[in-house]
Amino acid sequence: MRHAGYHAQRGRIGLLLIAPWLIGFLLLKLLPIAASFVFSLTDFNMLKPQNTRFVGLANYAILLRDETLWAALFSTAGVALLTVPLQLLVALMLAALLSKPSIVGRNLYRTLIFLPSIIPGIAVFSIWAGFIDPASGWLNRLIMEPLNLPPYPGVNSESGRNALLILLSLWNIGPAFLIMSGAMLGVPKELYEAARVDGAGPLYRLLNITLPVISPAIFFSLLISLITVFGGTVLLDRNITFSSGGQSPIDDYITYMMFSRQALGYAAALAWTMFVIVIGITVYLFRSAERWVYYPVGDSS
Amino acid sequence: MNRKRSLRLWDITGVTLINVLVLLVVVAYLFPISYMLVTAVKGDSQFSDANAPLWPARTVTGTYAGEEYPLYRVPLEEGERELLLVTPRRGASEFVDPDDVDGGIIAWEGNWRTLEPVYAFHLTFDAFTDWFDELDFGRIGRNTAIVVGLTEVGVLITSILVAYGFARFPIPRGDLLFLILIGTIILPEKVTLIPTYFTFVRLFDWQGTWYPLIVPFWFGSAVLIFLLRQNFRTIPRELEEAAMLDGAGPLRILTSVILPLAWPTVVTVALLHFFFIWNETRLATLYLLSAPDKHPLVSGMMARGGFVSGANNVQARALITMIVPATILFLSQRFFMRGVQVTGLER
Repeated sequence: MRHAGYHAQRGRIGLLLIAPWLIGFLLLKLLPIAASFVFSLTDFNMLKPQNTRFVGLANYAILLRDETLWAALFSTAGVALLTVPLQLLVALMLAALLSKPSIVGRNLYRTLIFLPSIIPGIAVFSIWAGFIDPASGWLNRLIMEPLNLPPYPGVNSESGRNALLILLSLWNIGPAFLIMSGAMLGVPKELYEAARVDGAGPLYRLLNITLPVISPAIFFSLLISLITVFGGTVLLDRNITFSSGGQSPIDDYITYMMFSRQALGYAAALAWTMFVIVIGITVYLFRSAERWVYYPVGDSS
Repeated sequence: MNRKRSLRLWDITGVTLINVLVLLVVVAYLFPISYMLVTAVKGDSQFSDANAPLWPARTVTGTYAGEEYPLYRVPLEEGERELLLVTPRRGASEFVDPDDVDGGIIAWEGNWRTLEPVYAFHLTFDAFTDWFDELDFGRIGRNTAIVVGLTEVGVLITSILVAYGFARFPIPRGDLLFLILIGTIILPEKVTLIPTYFTFVRLFDWQGTWYPLIVPFWFGSAVLIFLLRQNFRTIPRELEEAAMLDGAGPLRILTSVILPLAWPTVVTVALLHFFFIWNETRLATLYLLSAPDKHPLVSGMMARGGFVSGANNVQARALITMIVPATILFLSQRFFMRGVQVTGLER
């Protein structure tokens, strides 16, 4: 009986400890999400706030027929399919390569791989815009020409934009790389030793030991890489918008509605739609994670 | 015996190859940074000169009869010589040997514009001094220190307490609350932006103040709480139980048992927040619209984006905005890469 009272008391202390986050969640997340939905039911526009009316679900009816939205969603999906798997694959390969003890200076290399991720977005933009400029930059002069490759066409062409998008996404692998590197350091050495005794090769060890053990890290990296595509900022603020299109077309479209058109009611409806899509994707990912993410047995404290 | 030796040779070759491969990959990955570094130390004149080399350089001049003249490579019959161009003309020009001024005028037939000037390696930091003349870095430094410092203190205190609560206490409905916490990591910013903006600006009158940038962090950061809790859970409970028998309370256990063991993760999390807030420009741009003199470094230099001309000035700005986080990253590299460990998203 005394034990149950102790348990409840510990629970109350825990509640007190998490209270700052809980209050922040209620005031800065839950309440604004609800208020945002109320906004989305009006035609509120900053340019003529006195004319605001309650319009019900009219904004949602409009957005179903909004071709710009569908185009933005479509290209967001394109960006996600193009960059997220590539980011994860490259981060995984680099983390695996740099976990080899035979690499001289791998701590420095790890830091250098992470370096672009701490460069402010404005500087990343300046560096790449200057570097790839077809006339004055270095890309064509020092890389494409000497290697006899076709010159980089610039950001005004479709292929040039996609190439830049890929390059920029590779410069953002820092958080995923950091998480995967950390996870690889945590793989128990005995597992590798046991596999080596059994005569397992490096590929077998990667596929059957490393990948399953670090799968929670891969899953977490997947989440934070994906959220960048929806304009989120986890560990990395990448406020880069090339005039020809940013890393998140859907986020750019909502920004445009909010700040250029100042149509806040409609922008809120767009944001809520994106919110529902993100929740859907996340729930799907968590469901699928049950099949491919490995949890150590006995870690259930 | 022989087989053993060839095996070792094979190993050494393999190790060398993989080291070379890694070096090449990293050099290629960071190559654009060298463009920034080199361009930032070039002088203005180098961008209007089509002959100018890619490395930072300036044309060489010499004195003849008290006047400065540019140095050119001139193909003469006895071979190419570097001469001062004294009288430029389209048909025939007159030169002087800078090492033998008394030797007099050397005539050369041909258009001097076809000649190549002589360049010498030359670094200039004009682009940086221009930025320092133009902007008040004392004020910008103070703004940056306030925003970075106050968010860092708040986010660390709160996130540590919350992570400790989630890691060690039987909170009623704790599993559900933690799932919600993970959910807020992936919450798109735009969903909360409009009501938050109106609350901060209309209700609290915070436009043009630092409060909207600082206050939210005092409620903790979901992703940092997640990383800290992961780490706290790996600390054996026996240590706390021993301290508890000695009569230590929850806060005492946190400061005397958990934090001394978890400090690499705490430092890593502090660094992650530092890199994040240093780079933060969305909120600063939005809420400091009416007070441009309150901008921290990055958003302040970004706000001047439209007025920067000259590739050297643009790249110097890039370097100024990244130099502090890059230095801190290198100083902390020993443990930074080890501090983040994700072992499970469950419970």
